[in-house]
Amino acid sequence: MGGLLYTSVFIAVISLALFWMAAFTLWWQMHAWRTPETLASTRFDRPDGEGRLAFSLLLPARHEQAVLEHTIDRLLESSHTDYEIIVIVGHDDPETTAVAERAAAREPARVRVVVDHHETKNKPKALNTALPSCRGDIVGVFDAEDQVHPELLAHVDHAFRATGADVVQGGVQLINFHSSWYSLRNCLEYFFWFRSRLHLHAEKGFIPLGGNTVFVRTEVLREAGGWDQNCLAEDCDLGVRLSSVGKKVVVAYDSDMVTREETPGSLVSLLKQRTRWNQGFLQVYRKKDWRQLPGRGQRWLARYTLMTPFMQAASGVIIPVNFAVAVFLEVPVGIAIITFLPMITAMVTFVFEIVGLHDFGRQYGLRVRFVHYVKLVLGGPFYQVMLAGAAIRAVWREQRGRNEWELTSHTGAHLTTVPAASAPASAPASASSAAIREDSRP
Amino acid sequence: MTATLPTATAPGPGTGPGTETPAVPARPTEAGGLGRRPAAPVRPLVRFRSSRPDLLLCGALLLVILAVQGWNITNFPTLSDDEGTYLAQAWAVQQGAGLAHYTYWYDHPPLGWIQVAALTYLPSLLVPEWMTVAPMRFSMLAVSAASSVLLYVLARRLWLPRWAAGLAMALFGLSPLSVVLQREIFLDNLAVMWMLLAFCLAASPRRHLWHHFASGLAAATAVLTKETMLVVLPALLVTMWRHSHRDTRKFAVTGAVTACALIGLSYPLYALLNGELLPGSGHVSLIDAITYQMGREGSGFILTPGSGSNGVFRSWLYYDTVLPLGGLAGAVLLIVTVRWSVTARALAGPALAAVILAVVAMRPSGYLPAMYVIQALPFFALVLAGGAASVTHAVLRRHRAAGRRGPGLWVRRAVLGVLAVSAAVYVLPRWYEGNRTALTVDANAPYRQAAAWLGREVADPAGTRVLLDDALWLDAVHHGFKPGPGAIWFYKADLDPAVTRTLPGGWRDIDYVVSSPTVRRDAADLPTVKAALEHSTVVAVFGSGEDRIEIRRTDTGRTDPESGS
Repeated sequence: MGGLLYTSVFIAVISLALFWMAAFTLWWQMHAWRTPETLASTRFDRPDGEGRLAFSLLLPARHEQAVLEHTIDRLLESSHTDYEIIVIVGHDDPETTAVAERAAAREPARVRVVVDHHETKNKPKALNTALPSCRGDIVGVFDAEDQVHPELLAHVDHAFRATGADVVQGGVQLINFHSSWYSLRNCLEYFFWFRSRLHLHAEKGFIPLGGNTVFVRTEVLREAGGWDQNCLAEDCDLGVRLSSVGKKVVVAYDSDMVTREETPGSLVSLLKQRTRWNQGFLQVYRKKDWRQLPGRGQRWLARYTLMTPFMQAASGVIIPVNFAVAVFLEVPVGIAIITFLPMITAMVTFVFEIVGLHDFGRQYGLRVRFVHYVKLVLGGPFYQVMLAGAAIRAVWREQRGRNEWELTSHTGAHLTTVPAASAPASAPASASSAAIREDSRP
Repeated sequence: MTATLPTATAPGPGTGPGTETPAVPARPTEAGGLGRRPAAPVRPLVRFRSSRPDLLLCGALLLVILAVQGWNITNFPTLSDDEGTYLAQAWAVQQGAGLAHYTYWYDHPPLGWIQVAALTYLPSLLVPEWMTVAPMRFSMLAVSAASSVLLYVLARRLWLPRWAAGLAMALFGLSPLSVVLQREIFLDNLAVMWMLLAFCLAASPRRHLWHHFASGLAAATAVLTKETMLVVLPALLVTMWRHSHRDTRKFAVTGAVTACALIGLSYPLYALLNGELLPGSGHVSLIDAITYQMGREGSGFILTPGSGSNGVFRSWLYYDTVLPLGGLAGAVLLIVTVRWSVTARALAGPALAAVILAVVAMRPSGYLPAMYVIQALPFFALVLAGGAASVTHAVLRRHRAAGRRGPGLWVRRAVLGVLAVSAAVYVLPRWYEGNRTALTVDANAPYRQAAAWLGREVADPAGTRVLLDDALWLDAVHHGFKPGPGAIWFYKADLDPAVTRTLPGGWRDIDYVVSSPTVRRDAADLPTVKAALEHSTVVAVFGSGEDRIEIRRTDTGRTDPESGS
């Protein structure tokens, strides 16, 4: 009898903890749709017509000669008048360099090429290499395969001036939801993250930034010392460092102005990408910059957000076990009802995901068929398994890599192997684009 | 009726920005937002908590309602078996003895009396003897108060002018029919409170996602409190649809429906966890109970004279005709004119609720419980008040150029005055008469005397077995009769195998029968009770005529010198 009592109490406590976790995550995930006014405030304000700030757009490219030219051409279509494009190429990458040089020769006033001579390459090193040569008031970051809207710069310009922001984060959206069951969920993660949750982070004053379509005032960025070359999630880290010292971050999302990308080409590359992000999150957590946040609530949000991948992995395992225990062990009915609470939040999340998919289709003029909804629901548990796997892998790698951290900045290993595995021309928007630090939801 | 209410403008854009100034300016941009917000809704927004006139009016009306409903609450109306049952079940919950004082058989979802248990918990802890029907009626005052205030808030959220919201609240709280029914410990009263909360949240002026979600939760609670609330859900959905914004509607409405469904499913889940979802031998089941309730013998068509339903219907009209008949007529009119009248659109949800409830009551094969009308009362009141506001507006403003004064205005005001006075002359005397009865008549003296007799005259209550109805069951328990096999709710003597087993000798194992009108009415179908009534002699009578309560001792041959009249 005593054993049963302990089991009951244990199950109830776990269930309630899971319930609150899921409820908070859901609450934040649905932030943008709270009221019509909130939703409207997440969009870009209409620009007042004249751009006044100068932009330096950084475009790191590595073995991406197939897509780079198109990206540069698209950037050159921008309606803004005052900007430069700095393409950053590796000294060991002649093909990409050739494409970049060609573009620079065509548009010498707009395009410059900076060569990164680091032995082991990664994205933050590339960005830091180019930072000293930025001439603009604002530094913007894009990836080599991004499709950037021509009106974006004008809107960002206006956003900086209208709000006095130090950082403007634009929307990034994976589009190819029809490619596979996991890309469907991956697209939806981006949708909820950029459409909704990032706005909450901006409002609360703690924000992990995305990897591209992010704009920072040049002096703010130089003051902060650029990007952390040893962090696997340098963009998240930058956001955390800037918001922790009180810099103002503004997020805007317009479906016709987002930077469009594609999901990783295979489940394995998605897993690797997610592992890297999770490990990056862990590193950011351990760097403890977030402790400077003034508010207790902000610090809890930071703690929670950075640890989310791991709690999610845990809950993915615990929820079914908990459920099974409640059903098969003879616990009192009241306790059994409590164990259903996390299931209830999970189901509400599911339903909101279905509605989100519908809204996603509407926003982007994409036809979402019935089979996609079925895939969304059926794929949920499997995606959860993938997320849990990535979280466990991240912890394991971080543990193993801890000793050799100072000796070999092993970041390069991931950054070079991952693109190599999955960056053929057919899947340009692959894992090489550290697009966002996504903490997804089940 | 097709007039435009001054304040009942259509939600959203369309009425023209020049004609009305938005009552609420666009809120300042929140941090992180970029500033572009939709135009402020072109409609007045009620900030109830910060509006002094609203608070004063609502507070004053609340005091009047509480005074009228609370005064003489223990003596009128007559204690009913149903009240006793719900309270006895609440008592069982408080005692930790399960969900009912006998085997719980899924007759109704238990949430209703779990709430009664919570409401009466503190008083029953302080004075255990008060845990009987008459004193615990006071707990229903809290429910009435909450419902009245919610109704006022809802009326304001549906854009009724202040006076009309007050009128709705007064109609709802002071109609003699409401006074009688809201005093009683009926689950319907609790369900109405939750449903009004759901409507208020659905009509949230902020159109907040989680308000709508909470509306779904409240609606599910209402249904689990009294399952007949299920039929009102479409009307709630209409209200929510109209009050949500195009851009966020799909999330809001889906969220609410999901919340409602998931909470609603907890009831079958409970049955499943107990292994009592599906029928089987040796245990009760939810499916069995639903089959029973659905197959319950109908009480006839409501308008057929002499049918059971007709009797119930006439008993409602006996107390008040204005609210039920006027409200229903108004609701039908609103539904019919919904295309032309702004008021009709504003009140579409409540009007639909009233009409649905009326249609369900009209089923010729259905069973119509006496408390059924309780669920419709708030909607009737809203519709009537909305109608009054609409007529007022039509008389005062129709075809009148803005800002013009003159003799026309005085004619209009005179017409309005005549209308108001004639309505008052029609309603007030009837309501005065009805409420005077409720405030002065003592209908429960026989019950009190019978309960006192049981406590005084039975020497060994712990060893005595008595059949009685639930209105007295808790009194008997407080006097020392054993709950269950000692104090026996008379139905259970024949219908509950667990009780029947303890009565191998049938009526011979019973010492007393407290014969109340309910017992006499239903004994025909209950052989043991019938036999006990036939083989017993009256030892005490309280009251007279149909409503008398007799205490009868069975002719078992046992002599019990200490007990006698």
